[in-house]
Amino acid sequence: MYLTKDEECILRGECGWASQTCMKILSRLGDLFNAEKLIPIKSAHVSGVSYRTLGDAPIEFLKALADSGARVQVRTTLNPQSLDQEYLGKRLPSRLCEKQREILEQFEKMGLTKSLTCTPYYLQMPERGSHVAWAESSAVVYANSILGTWTNREGGPSALAAAVIGKTPEYGVHKAEGRQPNVLVNVKAKLQNHTEYGALGICLGKVLGDKIPAVSGLRDPSEEKLKQFSAALATTGMTNMFHLKKLAREEVEKIDIDDKDVEQTITDLSTATTKKPDLVFIGCPHCSKNEMKQIAQLIGNRKVRHGMEFWVCTSACVKEKCENSVKRIEQSGGHVLAGVCTVVSWTEKLGIRTIMTDSAKTAYYAPTLNKAETILAPLKECLKAALKG
Amino acid sequence: MQPTTLKGRVIVEGKCRAKALVSEKPISFLGGVDPADGRIVEKNNDLCGVCIKDKVLCFPHGHGSTVGSYVLYSLAKKGLAPKAIVNHTADPVVVVGAIIANVPMVDQIDITKVRTGDTVEVDAYEGTVKILKRKEA
Repeated sequence: MYLTKDEECILRGECGWASQTCMKILSRLGDLFNAEKLIPIKSAHVSGVSYRTLGDAPIEFLKALADSGARVQVRTTLNPQSLDQEYLGKRLPSRLCEKQREILEQFEKMGLTKSLTCTPYYLQMPERGSHVAWAESSAVVYANSILGTWTNREGGPSALAAAVIGKTPEYGVHKAEGRQPNVLVNVKAKLQNHTEYGALGICLGKVLGDKIPAVSGLRDPSEEKLKQFSAALATTGMTNMFHLKKLAREEVEKIDIDDKDVEQTITDLSTATTKKPDLVFIGCPHCSKNEMKQIAQLIGNRKVRHGMEFWVCTSACVKEKCENSVKRIEQSGGHVLAGVCTVVSWTEKLGIRTIMTDSAKTAYYAPTLNKAETILAPLKECLKAALKG
Repeated sequence: MQPTTLKGRVIVEGKCRAKALVSEKPISFLGGVDPADGRIVEKNNDLCGVCIKDKVLCFPHGHGSTVGSYVLYSLAKKGLAPKAIVNHTADPVVVVGAIIANVPMVDQIDITKVRTGDTVEVDAYEGTVKILKRKEA
């Protein structure tokens, strides 16, 4: 890969170890994927924040970077953490809280925004057509497909390296030719709700590999339904994006998805034998303002059942903007957890064995990451299970 | 014996000589290698229970979470890292890990030519893996 004189100086270590290490990461990845050069990015989004998934290993590296002066050159947001101070932090061992805080401190030192969300586009909408370096696969697919923002699927360390240098290697979906659809998906299933859109993503991701689909047959889906589809597609596949348009070329591979495929996926993602969950969880990916409002309206005056946990996850930013909805959810006995992701939290330490959710992505991960059984069902059914009356 | 030389591509520069440890299966550093002692703990790996410290670790490619890169760094800090990494196909997780841990690495090597216990020399300036001595049967 071609490097400018300035970039070469950084690579030689003339600007210190931290930027040298970050430049090494970018230039080697660029070589690996046959990029010709580095291009400037408008923002970065870093995954690998939860102490639950990180463990102790990365703390030393993050500390070394922060202490030797690494600072982000562009606006850089952070994925959710494993616990919040208000609720989970009070119920989990203090050692876990301290370790989680230590991780956040390193990121803050480097200048990252403590956004703690998997939906950074709800905080600040990225420019259409701009190049960014985002980790968090659900946001990557959503950004490329819905927001028209161009990003490869970065890992935690490569997104951080891109943030510190302010550039990313130009390959994959950063190039127009890398964004062309190469498989046609015809959705014959009549999708009704978020959960079914998620199931479609899980089902498709398994067969697509890293191909880019042109999806037809979706009936005027909301952005939130497409958010579920994006998250699920990235869960089982390596796809970076999809198109919602008819494909002009006819000679490509075609895949049909019918009602049975979606139904079967939902059945497979519901592993629980019991109908009574310990936790009802909404907010994977993090809820939008619209979703917060919808949940609050559906709750009405109902109360959470005795012995049941009911969590709604979103960013602190969205939570602040939805005061009335938050009040309604909390009055019911539910908890609005800001900056947290249930899947990367310690649910099993709270005695949670069965998780009910409307998110196909959560249902896919919970058996391994949360060691929990799952019930995947639409929002209304989730609320019915969580609430009395 | 005449040493066999395998030619590949440089990923992280460096040079070393050590015993080879060859895994037929991909390795995930997150969850697959214990950061406390450097042992492979992935149940379905052919090398489960074996320590990677100071070995030339040969495996087809990495898999799993990008957090795996940090695990390699942590192993290196504790002196538990392999002497070099040899892959068939380098993937971003292992590449980033080798860079930050400063472990010499080459890829595009036919690792089936190397056997566990062989003495090998990795020249990750030239991108070569030389089999100096076969493991005695």
